[in-house]
Amino acid sequence: MIVKFLTYLRERPEMLKWLLMSFLAFSLVFDFFVDHHEGHFWGDHLVGFWAVFGLVGCLGMIVFCKGLSHVWLERDTDHYDK
Amino acid sequence: MTSSIFMHPATMFIVGALLLPLFKKFNAQKVWLVLVPLLAFMQIKYLPSSFGCVEWMGFKLQFGRVDQLTMVFLHVFTLMALIGSIFGLHVKESGQHAAAWLYVAGSLGTTLAGDYLVVFIFWELMAFASVFLVWYRKRKKSIDAGFRYLLVHTFGGLVLLGGIFLHYQATHDLSFVAVSPETATIGEYLIMIGFMLNAAVPPIHAWLPDAYPEATVTGAVFMCAFTTKTAVYVLARGFAGFEALMILGAIMTLYGVFYAVIENDARRILAYHIVSQVGYMVCGVGIGTEMAVNGACAHAYAHILYKALLFMGVGSVLEMTGRSKLSELGGLYKYMPLTMIFTVIGGIAISGFPLTSGFISKSMIIAAAGEHHQLIVMCMLSLAAVGTFLSVGIKLPYFIWFGPNDCGLKPKEAPWNMQLGMFMAAFMCLFLGMYPKFLYDMLPYAVHYNAYNMAHLSETFHLLGFTAFGFYLMVKYLKPHDVSNLDLDWFYRRGAGWFMWFARNPVSASNEFVSNIYRTVGLRLTMAMARGLSWFDWEGIDWALDGSARGVVKGGDQVRQIQTGKLQHYIGAAVALLFLVLVVVVLI
Repeated sequence: MIVKFLTYLRERPEMLKWLLMSFLAFSLVFDFFVDHHEGHFWGDHLVGFWAVFGLVGCLGMIVFCKGLSHVWLERDTDHYDK
Repeated sequence: MTSSIFMHPATMFIVGALLLPLFKKFNAQKVWLVLVPLLAFMQIKYLPSSFGCVEWMGFKLQFGRVDQLTMVFLHVFTLMALIGSIFGLHVKESGQHAAAWLYVAGSLGTTLAGDYLVVFIFWELMAFASVFLVWYRKRKKSIDAGFRYLLVHTFGGLVLLGGIFLHYQATHDLSFVAVSPETATIGEYLIMIGFMLNAAVPPIHAWLPDAYPEATVTGAVFMCAFTTKTAVYVLARGFAGFEALMILGAIMTLYGVFYAVIENDARRILAYHIVSQVGYMVCGVGIGTEMAVNGACAHAYAHILYKALLFMGVGSVLEMTGRSKLSELGGLYKYMPLTMIFTVIGGIAISGFPLTSGFISKSMIIAAAGEHHQLIVMCMLSLAAVGTFLSVGIKLPYFIWFGPNDCGLKPKEAPWNMQLGMFMAAFMCLFLGMYPKFLYDMLPYAVHYNAYNMAHLSETFHLLGFTAFGFYLMVKYLKPHDVSNLDLDWFYRRGAGWFMWFARNPVSASNEFVSNIYRTVGLRLTMAMARGLSWFDWEGIDWALDGSARGVVKGGDQVRQIQTGKLQHYIGAAVALLFLVLVVVVLI
């Protein structure tokens, strides 16, 4: 059953995309109803701060790590045996 | 069971391990494998607050000290031993089970130890028992990785021992209690470095991602739980409030997660991710406030369960398909759906989804950093949380179970005992998330923190949702390739090569030169003298002593035959002997 359900979802990437988008929209709306007065620093007082932090952090990390791996760290799996 | 009848949990596992071959002979190995950890788990709450105090050569040793901090670790260690043993039920080799249990015993013994000498003994047992979990994989790569693991841990043990000596010289006291950052001297810092090596704090972390992916399927499940978390316990016990730990811990969280983003082998990703997660705990210990130490303990408890769950999940895939590289997997959800569900539960728990254990433990440390006004540390920890969801929450399950293309394999679902182990861990991940009081009540200090507040929920929705969005945008750049990445083990792996070259060439050449001179001039002279002396010894003196020398020669021959020349055998024998001595000491 679970396999059929997942196959059904997998064949509909557009639907998954819209599900993700609607969750993101929901999370942004949700943030407006949250009390932003208590927090540890200025970022906690801004609506949507952690959304930007998450997106920029994620993209930045992929670019930085993949780039570093590509230009410097990447080796064959039997590198030390040679 | 009454409170007056109890057994040191480490002794239970040591005796259990020694009796395993016997039970195997009577086809009862599986019963024994469940019974011993179950008994150990059930009896920990009956342990008195202090026991097993002995005088030995003028030192006061304490094998049992139980308080709230000990209890939370004992609880999760014995629970994990039970889950791990059930997961490994299908393994027939008693040796592997015995190594795992002796390793657990080392960890429990360290946790209960009240003084540095006992800590050191069990600390070494842990290293020497766990290396067999790597060697039992029996591939050349595993044997090599095991030796490196052993060498690094021996070095760490020596640093720890040196620290203990200096500490004893200065204070004449071996009791294992909290050290104040103001009074710490070189001795205490060496002890801390010894502990930090086991916690895999960079730059002395490379042993972990080197050895764990080479361990056996069940071995890795045990290893991911005990070594680093025992180190977190001893750091929390002795070194809470050291600022260096806070900074290094924050660096660890990012260092580990960066590698987890780029690695290809599923178990190596998880191994690097241990570095990241233990970073949270080390950071919490370094902050040192009540809330932060609580957070470190809570996170250790939650982490052991979900990281073991993840190792069980990818271990099941490795067991059934023989593959663990993401670039060789994909599309397995059709064939191993239950394993997939369990692993995804581990993945969302480690990412800190609401209603899972990560949500209620990780946030405690981040909030403690915020309340301690460590904003940079707090942001580093939050960024590591983003990377966690990216690498272990999405990337790992996606490329194993779904992925852009199917790998073409049609494996069967994992055996029932592996699934039961995964089910137990998955259940705990969700149970702790839904009923955090269970965990909070075990922590060393009273908890005044509620994870389920609106601001934290909203922050979590944002971090996780927009990380998923980032993955969606960049998924084609994250496609895994069959490569491995350099890390700091380069220094000793390449360094050893250079050392060997130096030994073979310049040193060996000069040695050869000196030997040549000796052979031509010195040897003849010595031989002539030796012949004369030997004759005198054999015929003159030994005759007088009733032929004892001949007896010794014969005995030496017999001893020579016992020696196989395999280092593993010697280490095994030495460890077995050590355990026997320990059993005798602890029991009496």
